[in-house]
Amino acid sequence: MKTINRRSVKLALIVVVSAGATLVAGETKKEFRFTVRPGSTVSIVNPYGPISLKPAVGNQVLVTVTLHSDKVEVSHEQSGKRVELRSQLLPGADQTSGIAEYAVFIPSTTNVNLHANTGPLRVEKLHGDVIVEAVSALVEVRDINNVHVHIKTMNGPITLSNIHQGHVEVTSISGDVNLNSVSGPLVQVNSSSGKIRYDGDFGAGGDYSLTSHTGDIDAVAPAEAPIDVTAQTVRGKVDSDFDLEAKRIVPRDDNNKSSFLGKAWSLVKLRSFSGKIHLRKR
Amino acid sequence: MTCKEFQEVLPDIIDGGQTVEQESHWKACRECSDLASELTLVSQQAKILRGGDEPSPRVWNSIEIALRAEGLIRQPAAAFTLVPSPAPRWRMGWLVPLTATFLLTLGVVDYYLASKPADQVAVVQPASSTKPVDDDDAQMLEAVSMKTPAMRAAYEANLQDVNAYIRDAEASARNNPADEEAQESLMEAYSQKNMVYEMAFDRSLR
Repeated sequence: MKTINRRSVKLALIVVVSAGATLVAGETKKEFRFTVRPGSTVSIVNPYGPISLKPAVGNQVLVTVTLHSDKVEVSHEQSGKRVELRSQLLPGADQTSGIAEYAVFIPSTTNVNLHANTGPLRVEKLHGDVIVEAVSALVEVRDINNVHVHIKTMNGPITLSNIHQGHVEVTSISGDVNLNSVSGPLVQVNSSSGKIRYDGDFGAGGDYSLTSHTGDIDAVAPAEAPIDVTAQTVRGKVDSDFDLEAKRIVPRDDNNKSSFLGKAWSLVKLRSFSGKIHLRKR
Repeated sequence: MTCKEFQEVLPDIIDGGQTVEQESHWKACRECSDLASELTLVSQQAKILRGGDEPSPRVWNSIEIALRAEGLIRQPAAAFTLVPSPAPRWRMGWLVPLTATFLLTLGVVDYYLASKPADQVAVVQPASSTKPVDDDDAQMLEAVSMKTPAMRAAYEANLQDVNAYIRDAEASARNNPADEEAQESLMEAYSQKNMVYEMAFDRSLR
């Protein structure tokens, strides 16, 4: 009798724990595969929840979506070179129950178009254009070359790292923007109240424009970087290790044989209405 | 595979890839290949047109604001009635000419502003856009409250940021009418506000 009781209790416990886990999790996993041609575009619209994109070998897009509740569904469509995935919020869905997590592996030459409210959104090691529009999402893009990177957020912070030879256009109203080792023919950042930080070498022959209304602008560059800098502020303050009066920053003529000598000059324009501008030598 | 069989499934091929057999016919048959190319072109152009036909959310919002201001539309009353309403497309039919007139006026104003030198444009911006939260902004925030109530505060704070930006940029453009940088800042400030509106009225994130 005692044995039976113990068994029953154990069994009941297992059933309760399993049911509880299922209820607490309430999650559903869905997997999609699409065969794509080079130059295809994958668009994802996800109001709530993270999206992570990584490169994959081959010509298949593999998408795993974890739905946090039955208040959100995923629809998908493939048409020619376009693949579109969309989280559909059902009545009663909110920022918690409407979460869908996307883990996406795509051929590296695929273009990416992401649309989200909350994120976070992470894209890495791709060779296709990256377009991201997000409201409050944290956006991280890294290790990308020779493509267009266009990011817009309202208050979501943006971090771009190791992006070279890219056309980079970033706009954020109040999200901070961090650029680490970002260079290319065009690098443009516009912000209203967010801070802008640039740490890199300003490439060669590029056009760099960092503009903010009230946010501070911090830029760090090698002392011998071949840059033609202008820094303007209406009510703020400019603090520069570089000689701005000379405008064109002349490379040091030392025995270290600067690797920048002989490179084309980059134009660097730093503008803020009331934020502080710091331009420092590394 | 015959030409007839290929052409029967051609729309599906254009939309969603092809089998090996279909691909080999596409390559081998010049007539079908030309037809496929033309259909692909038509399909692409149609998609562009479909995207271009949809006015920006700002336009719809402006129309709605104008109609509300004129008292021509109001919030629907939750009244119970035994008589079924007529189909919405007939009930709203009178809006078509009105909307066309409004869009035409909007186009004329836009053309007028575009044809002005930049420094004059800076001066003629409506004062309402520089208030911390004006009527347009209030409408937009109302829309955000309905769509994503939790994000209203963020939208409101960011609107105030861009409005402050616009105020400063307008003042700077007025004080320095020949300064291209000042004009550029003003355009950037307005483009940021436009971005906030686009995000707020983005139907895809509902």
